[in-house]
Amino acid sequence: MRNLRLNSDSRRAARGDRAGALIRTGRILSRLGYLDEQFCQVEDLQDEASPNFAEEVATLFFKDSARLISNVEQALEKYPKDFNRWDAYMQQLKGSCSSIGASRMKSECMSFRDYCGQGNVEGCMRSFHKVKREHGALRQKLEAYFQLLRQAGPAGAATRPGM
Amino acid sequence: MQHSKRQPSTKKRKIRVHHHHLKSSIFMASRNQGSAPRALVVEDIKVDRLILMHMLHKLNCEAIAVENGKEAVDLFLEGKTFDIVFSDKDMPIMSGPEAVAKIRAMGATEVKIVGVSADFGGKEAFMQAGADVFVPKPVKLETLQSMLEVVISKKNMSG
Repeated sequence: MRNLRLNSDSRRAARGDRAGALIRTGRILSRLGYLDEQFCQVEDLQDEASPNFAEEVATLFFKDSARLISNVEQALEKYPKDFNRWDAYMQQLKGSCSSIGASRMKSECMSFRDYCGQGNVEGCMRSFHKVKREHGALRQKLEAYFQLLRQAGPAGAATRPGM
Repeated sequence: MQHSKRQPSTKKRKIRVHHHHLKSSIFMASRNQGSAPRALVVEDIKVDRLILMHMLHKLNCEAIAVENGKEAVDLFLEGKTFDIVFSDKDMPIMSGPEAVAKIRAMGATEVKIVGVSADFGGKEAFMQAGADVFVPKPVKLETLQSMLEVVISKKNMSG
């Protein structure tokens, strides 16, 4: 009996650890500015019928944004100094970032567009590299977050951090 | 050993109740009329389309989506009718404002048209084209709810 209780205690402790890790990850994502209130709105759209909606949205975002980033990259290469074209592509990416709450990425997209407005090629290139970097970082962090959510199970969903 | 139970965040609980209330009020209003509001989403960005469609379904709306202004215009040319249209601004083939102007030119004056864009400069283009209202992205669920309530009450009044 004592062994059973110990196993049950250690399982409870493990669940608590996972829930704690989930909350810490969520807070880090918010505090470091990776995600804003809009991501909470997306998570709040989850219900019994679509319990993984946020992850579905995130997966689609990364697939779509990879394509949009590739569009910008090709435009930078094939259409030198075509700031209108570069801006148009980046505007799409910025819109997508807004929808999911990817605030740091969105900020870099806006920087890029500002540089387009100024006709500053070097500035555009610099900010584009930052957009790609933020994209990679956010992907990594969200993947970790959703993995924790899956491990935490339904109890984890109840303790999901309010960002 | 006592283990304190972690309580769900109060803020989260309030939001969940709020969404339930939203869904109920739209459902009751549309039930009185006998039909759910019919919405058309015109949006080329998949993430935005997914989120907007999900919100509309949560609000008991019959919603379909197309990917550009031309597809939206084609639906109206086919005789399809909608209570409300949500249109993005910048899309391939045909932009939102261009589609709105064509839809209005066809005589579709009753349908409520909502211009949606992350670009605040889009408001003027949409309003000049004949949209009823402009909403900046990202669209909030509460914003959709209040728009749909207006549409439903208008439907109820016209019988």
